[in-house]
Amino acid sequence: MAYRALDQAGLLHVHYTPNTVIIRIPCASMLRPDLILHAFQSGFDAVFVASSGPDCPFLGEECVRKTAKRIEKAYELLDEHGIDKNRLLLTGVCSTCVEAIVGGLERLEETLSGE
Amino acid sequence: MKERNKIGVYVCHCGGNISDYVDVKKVVEAVKDLPNVAVARDFVFMCSEAGQNLIKEDIKNLGLDGVVVASCSPHLHEKTFRNAAKEAGLNPYLVEHVCIREHSSWVHSDNPEAATQKAIWIVKAAIAKVSLARDLESIRLDMKPEAIVVGGGVAGMRCAIDLGRAGITVHLIEKSPFLGGRAAQIGKMYPSGISGIELVKKLVEEVKNNPNIKVYTNAEIVSAEGALGEFKVKVKINPRYVKGNVSDDTISQCPVEVPDEFNYGLTKRKAIYKRDFTYPDTPVIDMNACTKCGKCNPDFNQKPKTVEVTGSIVILATGFKPYEPKEGEFGYKVYDNVITLPVFDRLISISNGKLEYNGKEIRDIAFIYCVGSRNEEHEYCSRYCCVATINAALQALEKFGDLRVYHVYRDIRTYGKYELYYEQAGRDGMLFFKYDPENPPVVERSGNKLIVKVKDLLTYGEEIEIPVDMVVLSVGMEPEMSDVFTMLRVPFSRDGFLQEVHPKLRPVETAIGGVLVAGTCQGPKDTVEATASASAAAAKADTYLVKGYAELEPFIAEINPEKCDGCGECVEECPAGAISIENGKAVLKEALCKGCGACGAVCPTEAINLRGYYYDQLRKSIEAAGGD
Amino acid sequence: MKYDVLVIGGGIAGIEASLTLGDAGFEVLLVEKDPSIGGHMIQLSKVFPTTDCAGCITTPKMAAAASHPKVHLMTYSEVKEVQKTGKEFRVKVLKKPRYVEEDLCIGCGRCEEVCPVLVPREFDYGIVGRKAVYIPFEMAVPKKAVLDLEHCMMCGRCERACPKDAINFLQEPEEVEITVKAIIVATGYNLFPPERKKEYSYTGNLTLIHTNLNPNIIHAMQMERLLAPSRPYHALLRPGDGKVPERVAWVLCTGSRDKSLGNPLCSRVCCMYSVKQALLYTSAIPFGEAAIYYMDIRAFGKGFEEFYTMVRDLGVYFIRGKVARIESRNGNPVVIVEDTETGEIREDEYDMVVLSVGLLSNPELSEILGIDTNSYGFYVPPDENANPVATKVDGIFVAGTATCPKDIPDTVAEAAAAAAQCIAYLKEVGT
Ligand SMILES: Cc1cc2nc3c(=O)[nH]c(=O)nc-3n(C[C@H](O)[C@H](O)[C@H](O)COP(=O)(O)OP(=O)(O)OC[C@H]3O[C@@H](n4cnc5c(N)ncnc54)[C@H](O)[C@@H]3O)c2cc1C
Ligand SMILES: Cc1cc2nc3c(=O)[nH]c(=O)nc-3n(C[C@H](O)[C@H](O)[C@H](O)COP(=O)(O)OP(=O)(O)OC[C@H]3O[C@@H](n4cnc5c(N)ncnc54)[C@H](O)[C@@H]3O)c2cc1C
Ligand code: SF4
Ligand code: SF4
Ligand code: SF4
Ligand code: SF4
Repeated sequence: MAYRALDQAGLLHVHYTPNTVIIRIPCASMLRPDLILHAFQSGFDAVFVASSGPDCPFLGEECVRKTAKRIEKAYELLDEHGIDKNRLLLTGVCSTCVEAIVGGLERLEETLSGE
Repeated sequence: MKERNKIGVYVCHCGGNISDYVDVKKVVEAVKDLPNVAVARDFVFMCSEAGQNLIKEDIKNLGLDGVVVASCSPHLHEKTFRNAAKEAGLNPYLVEHVCIREHSSWVHSDNPEAATQKAIWIVKAAIAKVSLARDLESIRLDMKPEAIVVGGGVAGMRCAIDLGRAGITVHLIEKSPFLGGRAAQIGKMYPSGISGIELVKKLVEEVKNNPNIKVYTNAEIVSAEGALGEFKVKVKINPRYVKGNVSDDTISQCPVEVPDEFNYGLTKRKAIYKRDFTYPDTPVIDMNACTKCGKCNPDFNQKPKTVEVTGSIVILATGFKPYEPKEGEFGYKVYDNVITLPVFDRLISISNGKLEYNGKEIRDIAFIYCVGSRNEEHEYCSRYCCVATINAALQALEKFGDLRVYHVYRDIRTYGKYELYYEQAGRDGMLFFKYDPENPPVVERSGNKLIVKVKDLLTYGEEIEIPVDMVVLSVGMEPEMSDVFTMLRVPFSRDGFLQEVHPKLRPVETAIGGVLVAGTCQGPKDTVEATASASAAAAKADTYLVKGYAELEPFIAEINPEKCDGCGECVEECPAGAISIENGKAVLKEALCKGCGACGAVCPTEAINLRGYYYDQLRKSIEAAGGD
Repeated sequence: MKYDVLVIGGGIAGIEASLTLGDAGFEVLLVEKDPSIGGHMIQLSKVFPTTDCAGCITTPKMAAAASHPKVHLMTYSEVKEVQKTGKEFRVKVLKKPRYVEEDLCIGCGRCEEVCPVLVPREFDYGIVGRKAVYIPFEMAVPKKAVLDLEHCMMCGRCERACPKDAINFLQEPEEVEITVKAIIVATGYNLFPPERKKEYSYTGNLTLIHTNLNPNIIHAMQMERLLAPSRPYHALLRPGDGKVPERVAWVLCTGSRDKSLGNPLCSRVCCMYSVKQALLYTSAIPFGEAAIYYMDIRAFGKGFEEFYTMVRDLGVYFIRGKVARIESRNGNPVVIVEDTETGEIREDEYDMVVLSVGLLSNPELSEILGIDTNSYGFYVPPDENANPVATKVDGIFVAGTATCPKDIPDTVAEAAAAAAQCIAYLKEVGT
């Protein structure tokens, strides 16, 4: 769903920050917290987890709860490694929620430039 | 595991859509010498036959062991490229399709350099992912020739008939006591001129005569679950409280009279009632009205029955409801003679000789268009109402002669051959006034007349007052909401109707595999369009059910027993109950796995992976993209 | 040769119907009279209301039709005779000579390079030229050359240049007899020829300026080509002199809703495609000014009204009035119209005018097939409300614009519907 929102953003030709890379996963609940840490260690400044929220085709509402657990774990890991938690953002993004994507990325940009 | 090192990379121009902003040559340059890459090329249209042939030839001639295609969204063409690889003898799941159009050229058209850089990152991540890709086999799912159709309007019936004739067992579930939906309420229908009742009768006959169709009326869906190939729907069938054959005489014994919803309360019906034109011909007792007097030989002991039906496919044909204007909207509910189009349609059908409403003969009528459509609340146009309004006006004129008819509209949308109705209306002397939504018409009363005040754009904005006996509001369509939507998690479009995957490529499929849409639940339609979409849904179902199997993507969980220490975290986490612990090891029941991967995320030893998205693949892509 | 179903017409309707039937396991023969399948849709730029590029949607479907194991293509072929005997149709199909051996040609285009003859290219409606031997267009399926004998001067250069010796001047038309159990008619529409509306001064010849006909008055399909990602010259230029058109107008209902031309019907798509073209034009030429002359804007389908309001809000002008005449001034077209919302008679000068031409019927097979048309030549399904794709002949179905003008979403739905009816019918008569 969230991936579709990125497609939708493309169809609407909205602009957002280009220094992003999109890694497709079927459902945010599969995200191992250590992968997030891995991203930071591989040179990324921020991680944006665009989950499908309650629209998740696999888990529905359930997805929100599960994904939140992953992110909590990830926060712990980031803490342990002294990485600013504000650089990780989780948002539920429905298939047409273009604003959520653009808004989320803007917030991350602000966090980064504020440091 | 051994890395793949003969990967072919293909970057598409998309005829300028990509190459106008992303420097495709630069992308090719950036990756062509990477260790795992055997060849990197760019091409105008990768998806064209020539583009696909390019890939196929390379697979054969260079012995590629992996392919990356960077073009449009994988939702459009992933299958195309996988098939091409398969035809050339490469495992289709060694193809990674990434998007540099929607995700790069189109969104960063303001910054071509950054767009190019982003495309390079995306392609590098994909190469890394493919370098660790495994051969996967698609899952073949046998499909029992059985389908569930929800909604027994014209769309649901059309769909059920087409499937039934093709030899598929159909469970047709209708929540009201009778089949037919809203079409039966229409008098003379455009374009073919038959009445709604005749139309419904015709379809009902076919439904009744088809042994493959099982009809459930007065039926409420209590739960719906499952996936393509194995849906289960629990239906509560409410009792009709009647015994054996009930004669018309018996029905007339009923002392209770309530407004008949079929005629929007213009007429009355008994607490026990039936509808002659449809199925079933058994009457039903409306317990909200019944006084339990017992005169109709009822059986009040009947209990609701719950049955469970199964089907490989679910087709939603739950229809629409007419927009109900707000109190005061164009005088609705404030003045007696302001009614909506569906009510007017019933009024002409049941009136004989002269047109009367509330005891008053109607000699002049104004129709106000686009009520509940094309505004802030409902942005969309409801499509049917322009034609239906003119059609109703023409019928009224034909039936009652001597009527003065005024149309107060925004645009007359009698598209296609329906234009002939508009032309006829003009020839018959009906008058048209065009209003601006900024300055909508106002309905007031003066004496025993209603006055429609309109600033008419066709006379350059002159204020015109039209005295009439009746104002008819051409109300739009809204989706009929239903719990089934949430049970099956089907997504909605911005307009509130159910959303198809793609209006041109996959118009009857929803994002939920195996759940299809038919008729007006997907958007406003007349019966021509509703039945066409219903047959289209049947066709889609046929491609699985007539053939008898479906091929599914292999993206489900995979457990490595060597790593598993039997902690059971995954069992807890799995939403489908697909994992159990046997002999100290986790075991997966593949048929139940939904492919979410939640289990993998909690496994402390990383013994579980999601096929196609192995964690080592993801890690390597992250590294590759984050590299520089 | 025996197949389950014959599909006539390789536009999006025919392709969609063939693929659906093939996916359900039936053997399909798809007959197309042009050298490539794709129909009108492959010529479009982007498509409303989603503005995805037409090529991106059509090409993979075309490729799928070519590679589907159950779908067989016969292009450059015409149905000549259909006879129903019992439950079967015996059909004669004429394969027109391409003068290029289909099996040999690899679509390399060398022949095209060397051919000295230049004629207007059909695919681009004459905006650019093609050779006497040519590949119809970039994404053609099959991507094979065809030689147009009428214009060929028999110099033999192509024959010498072809690496596969595929050129064969001696090819003869070939009649093929096939037997099928059902037929789907998807023969589409014909574009309204704009020269028939004399008042609009359209010239079929885009390179010559006549006294009163103006090459800067083009029709909407030509505009589609100018707006397509694969457009000629990769730039949006007006044909008369290659200038960038800074003011463009669309004249709606050209050849539709016009009794004087014998077509009172509305063509159903021209409002929306004009709105779409205006959007694409203003994004290609940001300072460009776009104006649409209309009677009613028929934005009725899913997402259409939203699309229309968006384009309106972007600043495209909408002027209500049926254009009376188009004249020329300094090589520029001038639109003469009464604005029916103000009563003012306007004379508006533009760099280019696009005639939003309507969709006319293509009834050429009605006699051969024995199915009825209405007085405008569109096939009429006798039971339209209940089954819009069935005809009066058992086993013959119709889909797409062959029954009435319609947009792609409606066309595709009908194509699948025809496939469903066909499957039900085949199952009943037994396969
Ligand atoms: C005033 C008016 C005039 C019209 N005139 C014409 C005309 O002249 N010509 C024409 O072609 N079209 C006309 N139409 C349009 C026509 O009514 C619709 O196209 C048609 O009814 C749509 O059929 P449907 O099956 O999609 O929906 P519906 O007719 O709404 O049927 C849906 C069915 O699903 C059932 N249902 C809903 N939810 C559930 C659930 N959860 N479980 C089980 N069952 C459920 C409903 O009870 C209903 O029976 C007109 C419409 C109106 C309002
Ligand atoms: C300028 C313009 C812009 C448009 N833009 C849009 C848009 O943005 N969005 C949208 O939804 N719609 C649009 N349309 C409408 C769209 O073109 C049609 O909906 C669609 O192409 C119809 O497809 P079809 O298959 O029915 O017909 P066609 O595309 O006409 O296909 C018919 C095919 O049958 C073949 N054929 C004909 N006769 C025979 C025969 N006797 N034997 C064998 N083959 C035969 C033809 O060669 C052709 O290939 C536009 C139309 C025009 C004119
Ligand atoms: S069909 Fe006509 S009345 Fe209905 S919403 Fe559209 S424009 Fe308004
Ligand atoms: S040169 Fe020969 S092979 Fe090449 S396109 Fe022409 S006919 Fe075909
Ligand atoms: S023989 Fe004809 S087609 Fe071939 S190159 Fe000469 S003119 Fe062109
Ligand atoms: S669709 Fe619009 S432009 Fe085309 S004929 Fe109808 S009203 Fe005229």
